[in-house]
Amino acid sequence: MANITEALSLLTEMDTELLQIIGVTLRMSFFSTLISCLTGIPSGVLLGKSSFKGKRTIKKLTGTLMGLPPVVAGLIVYMLFTKHGPLGSLGMLFTVEVMVVAQCMLIIPVVINLTESVVRINASRLSETAKGLGMGKAKTALLILSENKHSLLSVVLTAFGRSVAEVGAVSLVGGNIQWKTRVMTTAIMLETNKGNFSFALALGVILLIISFAVNIIAAMLVKEDKQ
Amino acid sequence: MIEIKNLRKTYGDKTVLDIDSLTVKKGEILVVAGPNGSGKSTLLKIIAGVIKASEGTVVSEGEIFYLPQQSVPFAKTVRRNLLFAAKDKLNAKERCSTLLNELALNELADKNALALSGGECQRLALGRVLMNKGDCLLLDEPTSAADIEGGELMEKAIKRYQAQTGCAIIMTTHSPAQALSFAHRIIMLNRGTIAEQGSASELLAEPETDWGKKFVDMWKI
Repeated sequence: MANITEALSLLTEMDTELLQIIGVTLRMSFFSTLISCLTGIPSGVLLGKSSFKGKRTIKKLTGTLMGLPPVVAGLIVYMLFTKHGPLGSLGMLFTVEVMVVAQCMLIIPVVINLTESVVRINASRLSETAKGLGMGKAKTALLILSENKHSLLSVVLTAFGRSVAEVGAVSLVGGNIQWKTRVMTTAIMLETNKGNFSFALALGVILLIISFAVNIIAAMLVKEDKQ
Repeated sequence: MIEIKNLRKTYGDKTVLDIDSLTVKKGEILVVAGPNGSGKSTLLKIIAGVIKASEGTVVSEGEIFYLPQQSVPFAKTVRRNLLFAAKDKLNAKERCSTLLNELALNELADKNALALSGGECQRLALGRVLMNKGDCLLLDEPTSAADIEGGELMEKAIKRYQAQTGCAIIMTTHSPAQALSFAHRIIMLNRGTIAEQGSASELLAEPETDWGKKFVDMWKI
């Protein structure tokens, strides 16, 4: 009970470190989701609407990558960006940017696969209808996106959910450095290990509030669109 | 004008379309008849560029618009569906208003197209195609889901459009009455090949092949 009271007081007082951790988490999750969706959704649309050689192999590959353990993704990115790695000269290890890279590696296959499943259902009929009306490839692709926008919003939410809840990869490549790369999930782990349950609990509550708020905003967008 | 030469479409070992030569002139209405699976829709899809032919050529002049059998309504109001389909936005509102009246869609104009019935959807799908001025229309069973009244409205709209634009039309149908009412010329497809062709009166009076006779007998029934 004492832990819960302390957690609530941390929330109401808006502790500086807490605010900083929330900021880093939101920045990282926003950019991971944005980059994953900007690359994954068009790829998923292409995979869902087109027939080409090697499509099955790509689908199998992205399906396999969906199950990539976060620590493995973290390890690969770590090895790429470590001092003597191929991208070591960039000096990006233990930064938020490299955490975004690791997250994209995990989220892009998820976005591609989910988008492909959404688009596959009606893409060929929509393409045929659009072709009949003399629409070009770009307009047809936009039409497919627009006709599936509600389902694609769920894809974006899934990507954000995966990003905000991820711990293994970001902990490995970010280093969980205080005031720099510490995010809510890694902070919860650390504080729990230290026995500082109130701080961990406060972070957990905020994590839930953020997820809830994002879902509410998404539901409002969908409702507004239907009107 | 559309000119088809040595057109073949195969799926593995199976040939679904095999047409040596077919020409449709400007202003001509060609009706394509035949049983299910005879290659009618495949022919239209190839001309429209939706699928590729395995062999042969299709040469066309001018702009082609195509109404597939299963045209999808867009998640917009009926009016916005029509306006969205117009390639040329000039006078699009007037054309939209004419088509809403002509196809009895006026009362549904502000309704979401996803909530329409099958017949209403088909009227809307035809309306979207007619929003554009094409040199050739490809209509794949355009009135198959419509009731009698709806079908008549659609036929009138197609005839009005053809008279105004002078476009060529290639239309598939299972309705003998529709074929007789529209066709300058009919081709009958049997397993992907042209089994009979000629004017509607010629074909109904004197089919050349046994298969043609059987098919025409079924039509007369």
